[in-house]
Amino acid sequence: MLAIETRGLTRLFDGKAAVADLGLRVPRGAFYGFLGPNGAGKSTTIKMLTGLLAPSAGEARVLGHDLFRDPLAVKAAVGVVPDGLALFERLSGAEQLRIHGQLYGLPRPVAARRGEELLEALELTQDGGKLVQDYSHGMKKKLALGCALIHGPRLLFLDEPFEGIDALAVAGIRAMLQGLVSGGAMTIFLTSHVLEVVERLVTHVGIIHQGRLVLQGTLDEVRASGTLEETFIRAVGEERNGAHRLSWLGGAA
Amino acid sequence: MTRAFLALAELRARLFWRRLRGQGRFAEGIALGVLFLVTIPIGLALAGLIGAGSWRLTRQAPGRQLEIALAAMFFGLWQAWTAVSLALSEREGIDLKRFLVYPLPAGRVWLFGIGSSLAGDPVGLLWALLLGGILGGAAVGRPGLWLLGLGLDLLLFAAATVLLVALLHEVLALLSRRRWVREILLGLAVAGGVGLGLYVVGSPRGGGALRHLLPWLRILEWVGWPAALATRAARGLYGGQPAAALPWMAALALGGAATGWMAFRLALGAALSGGSGGETGAARPGDGWKIGPWRGRFSALVEKEGKYLVRHPLVRVSSLVVPALGTLVAWKLSPRIPEEAGEVVRALPLIGFGLYTHMSMQVFWLNAFGWDRGGARGLFLAPLDLSEVLLAKNLALQAVSTAVYAATAALMLAVGGGVPAWALAAAAALHLGMAPACYALGNLVSVMNPRAAPFTVQRNAGFSWLSGLAGMAIVSGLSGLFAVPVLLALRLESPWLVPAAWALLGSVGLWAYRRTLPAVGRLLASRRDAFLPAVCGDDV
Repeated sequence: MLAIETRGLTRLFDGKAAVADLGLRVPRGAFYGFLGPNGAGKSTTIKMLTGLLAPSAGEARVLGHDLFRDPLAVKAAVGVVPDGLALFERLSGAEQLRIHGQLYGLPRPVAARRGEELLEALELTQDGGKLVQDYSHGMKKKLALGCALIHGPRLLFLDEPFEGIDALAVAGIRAMLQGLVSGGAMTIFLTSHVLEVVERLVTHVGIIHQGRLVLQGTLDEVRASGTLEETFIRAVGEERNGAHRLSWLGGAA
Repeated sequence: MTRAFLALAELRARLFWRRLRGQGRFAEGIALGVLFLVTIPIGLALAGLIGAGSWRLTRQAPGRQLEIALAAMFFGLWQAWTAVSLALSEREGIDLKRFLVYPLPAGRVWLFGIGSSLAGDPVGLLWALLLGGILGGAAVGRPGLWLLGLGLDLLLFAAATVLLVALLHEVLALLSRRRWVREILLGLAVAGGVGLGLYVVGSPRGGGALRHLLPWLRILEWVGWPAALATRAARGLYGGQPAAALPWMAALALGGAATGWMAFRLALGAALSGGSGGETGAARPGDGWKIGPWRGRFSALVEKEGKYLVRHPLVRVSSLVVPALGTLVAWKLSPRIPEEAGEVVRALPLIGFGLYTHMSMQVFWLNAFGWDRGGARGLFLAPLDLSEVLLAKNLALQAVSTAVYAATAALMLAVGGGVPAWALAAAAALHLGMAPACYALGNLVSVMNPRAAPFTVQRNAGFSWLSGLAGMAIVSGLSGLFAVPVLLALRLESPWLVPAAWALLGSVGLWAYRRTLPAVGRLLASRRDAFLPAVCGDDV
């Protein structure tokens, strides 16, 4: 059974393909790492799969629902931590969680109770009364994760969840995510630049480059011929040049 | 240093120019052009009128009439700037926080920001034309060196007014950041309100008692109204006694400098605080509004919108300024409407504030998603019918707007005395009846021309020039439509025709609102590609 299946998924911006002919196959219960260099099309893909962006062509089924025919059913079943987050900065952290839960159809007392539990699990209880605007970047990321989880989704989309947060927070979030998929009831679709973290977390990998899926499989299949980093660099076909020297820095005056 | 400020000027000019280019910006440029095209002839006409007044004043003997005319002139100038600048200002203004990193004196950067926010603003141009009209009229009437004094007086008045508005902005921003300041002010407001209530109840004059208390409040004009000092200085100058004007001009300069210094210190404090946004009460997850018959998603949407509105400084400004302005009108203007004008005309100030309240809140119905910023993504990610989101926004705004108008009307009635029952019905019918049409059209503008808006009233605009122009068209069109029953009532001498016709128009508006809401929701869903980057601030 597949949690996500796309066929020919394409998105054009001004006639240029940001994502072209994408054929993702994400098994249920998988921890899927979606990798690619900057501008490869990772966020565009997540936006299309979560209904934030209309595709130019193609089909997508998410948890068995046709994403474009039945978007509300898909939305109700997935949780998302989008790039740029989706927080109402003028609500307190506690209000954000509760109202977010209610927007996903939870009764108020249930949303409030889960919000309380999430604040505790995310170590934000002390800051529950502060406006989100006053949260640090790491706290916002944690809160966004809490929002994505509050309604009990079966599929979680995480767009760069470890970007801009410290090692302690990364460790905490990583442990939480591992706990979520260990039961097999949840599928996680994650994009990240941090290959080491991805390698330690995921069971499946897809690599996108210039809008096209260039590699997809289990982690073991993908790194059969080297580390994930080596495979990644080979897949995107880019040689790193030596650092450019800047004429006015470091030279003799 | 000069080079750095030239770079700042270039930055501002480039941001301004960029706003007029690119996809969807053409209409914005046209809107700005139209606003200037409207402003210039209106400004010239008003400058001609005020110039003629100024010319007449040069021939006026010192006395009560000169004082009244000058006070009216400066009041007009003051409110022309203050009322508009609170709601509309430049988007590309200088944000002090972003420039602290540069080796530039923060005070000069702040002053540059204030000054540059006047440039490229049609209201700034209108103001300059009015000030020029006064000076021109005076020069024609009585040429001489005294004009230097008058020019200086006008300049000081302009600077003091701009700085007072800047201070007001900073104070409001402080209010939104510091809970204890809010609570102290709220406590004072409640104590003041209770005191006033007791005074009215205990007074033998009853409902009109406040009118006799208001003259005592005039003492505040020396603190919060630069026009008072400028008027006294101008009285000496027009009266041929320039020496008598000097102390008032010195006080105006000192007051302006003190105001500017306080505003700058608050702005700097805010910038150095790292942009702390504010505190709410110690909200627990279980806390929340229990909203009438609504449950589930819709109740959460209305609660979120209500909290956003209540926490917005512009709503706080409106909830103070609109009732205060209503009180002033009921105190000063209403008693001067002659009996023979008829009861319909005499009720117009009370009724007119129903429309004015909608205008003071138009930034919220013309750019309904502007303050959601990144949170707007959440509305699209959740399994929501977007027409419900629009409905929740409109309902929350209607509730806030009605509360502000109810407070205004209550104060106007307390100060100006009672009005006939038909006038009360008409006031309610106008305010409630106009809302569906305003919001239906405003939703369309919000969807078609969204804009990320900052959670302040200062520096950056809550909506674009194009939306502002659309708002003017909506309010003008609806005002014209709702004016027809008034004309009929005057002709037929049948005041009850007014509330009846407005209730009918309101019902038609509500019917149209309900019919079009699902379509606007679908339009919003279909425009999400362009909408979200604009609202979330990704393309700013």
